[in-house]
Amino acid sequence: MRRIVCILFSICQLSLFAQTTISGKVTDSKNNPILGANIYLDGTYDGTSTNEKGEFSFKSTAKGTQTLVVSFISFETFIKTADVSLLKNLQIKLRDDVNSLDAVILNAGTFEAGEKAKVTVLKPLDIVTTASALGDVFGAIQTLPGTSTVSEDGRLFVRGGEAEETQIFIDGIRVFTPYAPTANNIPTRGRYSPFLFKGITFSTGGYSAEYGQALSSVLLLNTIDEPDQEKTDISLMTVGLGVGNTQIWDKNSLSVNASYINLAPYQEAFPDRNKWNKPVQSANGEMIFRHQFKDDSMLKLYGAFSYTHFDVIQDDINFTDGFHFGLQNRNLYFNASYKNKFGDNWRIETGFSFTNDQSNLKIMEDTVDANENSAHFKVKLYKQFSNRFKISFGSEYFATNFDENYTEISHQKYKYGFDNNLFASFAETDIFFSKNLAAKIGIRAENSSLLNEFTVSPRASISYKSGENSQFSLAYGQFYQNPKNDYLKFSQDFKAENTSHFIANFQHTKNNHIFRIEAYFKDYQNLVKYDSEFANFNSNFTNNGNGFAKGIDVFWRENGKIKNTDYWVSYSFLDTERDYKNYPIAATPNFVSKHNISLVAKHFITDLKSQIGFTYNFATGRNYTNPNELGFLNNQTKNYNSLSLNWAYLIDQQKILYFSVNNALGTKNVFGYNYKNTPNAAGNFDRQAIIPNADTFFFVGFFWTISNDKKSNQLDNL
Amino acid sequence: MKNLFLFIGLFIALNVTAQTQYQTGMQKAFSLWEEGKMTEASQLFERISTVEKDNWLPSYYAATLEILGSFGLKDEAILKAKLTKAQDFLDTAKSNSENNPEIIITQALLNLGYIAFDGQKYGMILSGKNSQLYAQALAIAPNNPRVILGNAEWNMGAAKFFGKSTKPYCEDIKRAIELGKEEKIDIEFYPKFLLERAEEVLKQCEN
Repeated sequence: MRRIVCILFSICQLSLFAQTTISGKVTDSKNNPILGANIYLDGTYDGTSTNEKGEFSFKSTAKGTQTLVVSFISFETFIKTADVSLLKNLQIKLRDDVNSLDAVILNAGTFEAGEKAKVTVLKPLDIVTTASALGDVFGAIQTLPGTSTVSEDGRLFVRGGEAEETQIFIDGIRVFTPYAPTANNIPTRGRYSPFLFKGITFSTGGYSAEYGQALSSVLLLNTIDEPDQEKTDISLMTVGLGVGNTQIWDKNSLSVNASYINLAPYQEAFPDRNKWNKPVQSANGEMIFRHQFKDDSMLKLYGAFSYTHFDVIQDDINFTDGFHFGLQNRNLYFNASYKNKFGDNWRIETGFSFTNDQSNLKIMEDTVDANENSAHFKVKLYKQFSNRFKISFGSEYFATNFDENYTEISHQKYKYGFDNNLFASFAETDIFFSKNLAAKIGIRAENSSLLNEFTVSPRASISYKSGENSQFSLAYGQFYQNPKNDYLKFSQDFKAENTSHFIANFQHTKNNHIFRIEAYFKDYQNLVKYDSEFANFNSNFTNNGNGFAKGIDVFWRENGKIKNTDYWVSYSFLDTERDYKNYPIAATPNFVSKHNISLVAKHFITDLKSQIGFTYNFATGRNYTNPNELGFLNNQTKNYNSLSLNWAYLIDQQKILYFSVNNALGTKNVFGYNYKNTPNAAGNFDRQAIIPNADTFFFVGFFWTISNDKKSNQLDNL
Repeated sequence: MKNLFLFIGLFIALNVTAQTQYQTGMQKAFSLWEEGKMTEASQLFERISTVEKDNWLPSYYAATLEILGSFGLKDEAILKAKLTKAQDFLDTAKSNSENNPEIIITQALLNLGYIAFDGQKYGMILSGKNSQLYAQALAIAPNNPRVILGNAEWNMGAAKFFGKSTKPYCEDIKRAIELGKEEKIDIEFYPKFLLERAEEVLKQCEN
């Protein structure tokens, strides 16, 4: 018996002898020991964790060449392949994982929203729960710094740029006609429903070489990859009704929605300052189909159709019977995008979009029929060499065909139009020198066949993380954009307009707050000038205009410090002058306010199952020209003030009642003045204030979601 | 007599050594877990999963441990790193066992980790997804006590938020407890039904 035990014992001994000890020490790049790193021989059970000194030691029966793996959260995994006998007293330095959330971010000029973003300035729900936004993407973006309050227009005016200087992209593909048409003084809205998008990137300057034909800003909207569930949404609103449905099967999903808006009942109840011959009616339909392939590749088809129709007579000092404007607009947008991974860390993204926009306008007794066909094709390749070095490059082609027929009261007809085709290529690289220092360098080349011009624009940005929660960034870029359609339709003898951006940014983020301050300077060259009151056939156009914009944007957001309360403040200071259009001298354009402030707050009251919120906007006065005095853009309107309120009440898990009031205090805001063309008997020009059609706007809606889980609601649609 | 004891002792010892490396590894990982050494346990599961490439259990447990460790974290960077790692493990488990209700409800638990951290940021997207995941798991395994309990807890959370009674879910929990007691598990190291925890949830429900 004793013998057996002895034999067993010696077998154990023998097997101990056949083992190799693997040992060493694991530290970070600054030689601080790492506690708890996981160390093992790949494909075996042998391994251990490091102690507080970063040391490890374990035995293995494995022989020959083995692969040692060292992994720890927030660090890149370390791999060493060698003969097992050599894996002794190793000194292993783990490199920081530059993809982790606390790594430096290349962010100069950019705001990100959505759950994927490392620093989110707007959460998905914000688009739809911000008072004043009325469920419009552009409305919510206008509470961010860098935007100017031009509330009679509704489009995005960024850092002293005109609205046309901002371009909008859905899934990387250009949108040519993002805004719904309206009459003068009635703010426009985006054509697309906000709940189709999961992430939004808003760049107010210095953006990537991937994007061109935008002098001031790009807004990137990404649609949802995978809807979470099948459901039907029903909306009943004071201004119309809507219905939506989502179906999911296998690897496919289809969402459709349709809405019908009719402002007649509202305008009957709350008459505004216009005489509506035909109140605004619009019908919109959208559909999005998504197919997910096996290997994470994805195809999305998105289509939207909208029809708008109205006829209005607006009070105008120069027309005794008012200014007559009628519009009928049909807009079709189609966008297809495909992305796929292939080979060794390669990715391809490609897509195209097509827009057809037809408008029939009545302007007094004249009629204008416009037809625009635009298309965008794009292919982009992306290669990740390592976590620290990535490149992307691609090409794109824009084609626009624009035709307009102008018929005067005398039946005299004018026909004109243009083809604006442009080919562009871009290349860009992202380099992480460390977790604290990163740079992006890119270049973009464009060839416009319409202007017969070739341009090259370099872009660069660098970010340095100065502390645990803070970082500095710098960005520079050159941007070119062909003159807008309003000029191209009368003349094509142009150069591209051009601007350079210089941006410096500081950002401090902690769990529940974000603070950022950004200073910028923009230099505009080759702006279009003309010598007539309005741009027309007889105007003499040149590219001799120029201008500048400089300013400071500040953003502060805090969540939850006050219980159930979330708020953000934006402040923009803007100093800009331009000598363009028909300006006799360089002057600050009339869409610019020197100071812009927005304050947005939301509070959830659990007992009332309600979210209440307000938005306060303030902007200093805007320039206008008073012909009774000497000079150009020589006077300023009073300051702009608006307080908007909203209240969302959850009747139960699937029914929401929503109220909102824009400009609740009924402040009489003035956007400028319209002067009579001829002086009165005393030799003075009489004037009329340009004011909103209605000071205050009310909205009541009831939203009902029908889904299997009986839990979703349309809070995200509001 | 003495010899007999020795013999029995040896027999047990031999029996232990007759265990596969997989069994030893898994047992060790579970005992580390019981001792509260979560990191070590998770790392051991991770090592086992690199060997047992076709077995979903080791990566399933590695994911579960990372998820449990993420609750209560204050630093979003660490939370995201842990849950990303957990997601990788879970994806590995999924590739070894498709439409597995245990993995599906663990995915819901992972999503809950994000929602619990910042409901406003993650809730809108992930809560709908979670309801879908529970529905999917219930369709596959209508009598799985862990699925029934998870689904009931999830619904109770929503009911509480809306100030509604959680009573309707008590029946589900009771049913889960009964099914849990009866459940026969024939796969080694298959997830167990945690009776004590279920009873705790039942108390909350009846209050």
